[in-house]
Amino acid sequence: MLKINNLHASIEGKDILKGINLEIKPGEVHAIMGPNGSGKSTLASVLAGREEYEVTAGSVDYIDKDLLELAPEERAREGIFLAFQYPVEIPGVSTTNFLKTAVNQVREARGLDALDAVSFLKEMKAKMKLVDIDQALLSRALNEGFSGGEKKRNEIFQMAMLEPKLSILDETDSGLDIDALRIVADGVNKLKSDSNATIVVTHYQRLLDYIVPDFVHVLYKGKIVKSGTKELALELEEKGYDWIKEELATA
Amino acid sequence: MSDITIENKLTEMFDNWSKESVHLDSALTQVRKNAIKSFSDLGIPKLKSEAYKYTPVQRLINKNFDFSVSNQAAGWTKDACKEEFYQDDKANHLVFINGEYVSDYSEIRSTDDLEIKTIDDESFDQNAEIKNLMGKTRSIEKDAFAALNLAFFNNGLFIKVNKNKDAIDTFVYHFVDSESGQTINFPRILIIGEQGSRANIYEKTFSKGSQNVLALSILEASVAANAEVRFTKLQQFASNEYTIDGIYANQDKDSRFYTNTYSISGAVIRNNIHINIGGENSEAHMNGLYQIAGKSHVDNNTSVDHMVPNCYSNELYKGIMDENSRGVFNGKIYVRPDAQKTNAFQSNNNIVLSDTAIVNTKPQLEIWADDVKCSHGCTTGQLDEEAIFYLRARGIDKKSAKALMLNAFANETLEEVKNEQVKEEIEGIILNKLHY
Ligand SMILES: Nc1ncnc2c1ncn2[C@@H]1O[C@H](COP(=O)(O)OP(=O)(O)OP(=O)(O)O)[C@@H](O)[C@H]1O
Ligand SMILES: [Mg+2]
Repeated sequence: MLKINNLHASIEGKDILKGINLEIKPGEVHAIMGPNGSGKSTLASVLAGREEYEVTAGSVDYIDKDLLELAPEERAREGIFLAFQYPVEIPGVSTTNFLKTAVNQVREARGLDALDAVSFLKEMKAKMKLVDIDQALLSRALNEGFSGGEKKRNEIFQMAMLEPKLSILDETDSGLDIDALRIVADGVNKLKSDSNATIVVTHYQRLLDYIVPDFVHVLYKGKIVKSGTKELALELEEKGYDWIKEELATA
Repeated sequence: MSDITIENKLTEMFDNWSKESVHLDSALTQVRKNAIKSFSDLGIPKLKSEAYKYTPVQRLINKNFDFSVSNQAAGWTKDACKEEFYQDDKANHLVFINGEYVSDYSEIRSTDDLEIKTIDDESFDQNAEIKNLMGKTRSIEKDAFAALNLAFFNNGLFIKVNKNKDAIDTFVYHFVDSESGQTINFPRILIIGEQGSRANIYEKTFSKGSQNVLALSILEASVAANAEVRFTKLQQFASNEYTIDGIYANQDKDSRFYTNTYSISGAVIRNNIHINIGGENSEAHMNGLYQIAGKSHVDNNTSVDHMVPNCYSNELYKGIMDENSRGVFNGKIYVRPDAQKTNAFQSNNNIVLSDTAIVNTKPQLEIWADDVKCSHGCTTGQLDEEAIFYLRARGIDKKSAKALMLNAFANETLEEVKNEQVKEEIEGIILNKLHY
C-alpha cells in the first residue's frame, strides 16, 4: 500500500532524509527506531505532507497514487493519519467541533453522507470508550493545557474517529503512564485489520510488546540502515545503537 | 480643499439653522449655542493630535464632504424599516432615520420597565433628567464631535430603565439614506439605568444610497447604583460611510456597564469610549472585534477612569485584518490615587492576514494608586502555521482550517452578548467574512 523509493528531503537547505526505501503492505505493522535527530519525525511529516520540507529526490506511491502530489488534507482523506510527536495546541477550537468538521470533510471525500449531530455523538461515545478518554477533555479547546499523556490519548482518539488506512504513530508512547500505554496500545490493536497498516515510531521496546511489529527498521542519519523482525528491537533495547554505528563504519 | 475651515462651515450652518428655528428662545437652543461655541473652541482634531494620530479626521472630512447636506431619506418607509427588525415581538424596536429618532416608525412594547422619549425642545424643557444629564457625562466636554452632535442633533432618544426593573431587549436601528446627496447624521441617545435596573440595548445600521455619509453619533449612559447596562453595537457600514462614534458613561456604586462593539465594514470607523467608574464595587467591560478587509479603517480609542477604590475593568479587543485594511487600538486605563484595590485588565490581539494590512496598537496605563492589579497585553501576528498543518493533517481543507481558527479567535469577544438572535447574527457575519 505504501512504497517509498529513494526518498530525499531537506529543510532550510539542510538534508535530513538521504535515501529512504520502505515498502508496507496492508495488515503490516512496521516499527521505526533510531537515535534522536536521525529523521524519524521528518519522515512522518513528509508522509503527512508538511510543506516546510522539500522533497529533493525519490518517490512515494500510496495505493496507486503519487502521494507527494497530494495536499495534507487530501492525504488524510485518502487514509493517512499522523499521530503527532508534539500535538499542537489550538486555542478556542473545541476538540468536538474540530473533529466534526474533520470527520465530515473526510466522509465527503470518501463519498459518504455527513454525520448529523446525533450520529456524530454516538460515534464519538463509542470511540471514546476505545481509548478511555474523558468527555470533559473533548469539550475543552483542542490540546490546550492538556497534559502530555492527554494529548497522546487524544491523538489516538482522533485516529479512531478518522478510520485511516495507514497510521503513523510518532512516539505516541512518550508521556503515557503505564496504564495509559496499555489502553492506547489496546486501542491501536482493536483498530488494526488486514486492510490497514501502521508505522510505529518509538524509542522503547516496551510499546512493541503491546503493538507487535512485523518489521523493525533502524533509521540513522536519514537512512534505514538496518531492518529486521521484532527481535531487532530487543537487541537494540539491550545494546543501544553503538554496534550499528560501528557496523556501518567498518562496512 | 477650500480655505474655509470645516469649523467655519459648520458654525455658519449652525447660525443659519438657529436663525430659521422656530424655537429661538428654547432652553435646548441655548444648550446648542453653547455647544457650537465649544466645538469651535475645541476644533476638529488636527494631524498633530495624539488621540487621532492614525485617523486624520480633518483631512478625511475635508476630502469627502462638501457640507451641501441633504437629509432626505425617502428610501426608508415605515414598512421598509419594519422589514429589517429582528424577529422579536417582546422587544422594543426603535428607529432612527438619518440620525433622527422617529417614534412613529418605532414599536415600543415596554410598559412599566422602560420609559422611551424623543429628546426635543419640549422634553428638554420639561424633563429635569434630560436637562441635568445630557451633554454632561464626565469627559464628554473634551470631545469636539460630541459638541457638534449636541449642536446639531435633531430628535434624540431618551431611554430610562425604571428602578429595579429587568427590562426587555431594546433594538435600535439606524436607517441611512444618501441617495439624494451627501448626508451628515447626528444620532444621539441618552440612557439612564435607575437603581437596581437591568437593560440590554442593541444597535445596528442599514444603509441605502451611494453618496458619502458622515455619522457623528453619541451615546451617554448614566448607570445608577446596582444597575446594569449592556450595550452591543454592530457596525457594518457601506464603503461610503464615515463614522465617529462616542460612548460616554458614568457609573455609580455596585453597577455594571458593558460595551460590545463589532466593526465589520465601512470607509472609516472611529470609536471613542470613555467610562467613568465613580462608585465603589463597580465593573466595566469593553469587548470589541474589528474584522476588516478592503480599505476599511477602524480606530478604537477607549478609556476607563477608575475614580474610586475596589472596582474592576476588563477590556478585550481583537482584530482580524485582511487586504489593505488598518486597525488601530488605543486603550487607556487611568487609576486615580484614591482608587486602591483596582483590578484593571486589558488585552488586544491582532491577526494580520495580508502583507498590506496594518495594525497600530497602544496600551496606555496611568496608574497613580499603589495597591492595584493592572495588566495589559497586545499581540500581533499571523495564523499559526503549525496549527493549520495539524488541522489539515486531519482532513480539513486549508480554508476551513483558517476559518476554524479565526472563528474561535473572534468568538471570544461575543461572550457578553446576551441576545441569541444578535449573537447568532454576528457569528454568522464573522464566519461569512472568513471565506476570503
Ligand atoms: N526547521 C528545521 N530547521 C533545521 N533543522 C531541522 C528543522 N527541523 C528538523 N531539523 C533537524 O532535522 C533532524 C531530524 O529531526 P527529526 O525531528 O526528524 O528527528 P527524530 O528522529 O524524530 O528525533 P527524536 O527521536 O528526537 O524525535 C534534526 O537534526 C533536527 O534538528
Ligand atoms: Mg521525532
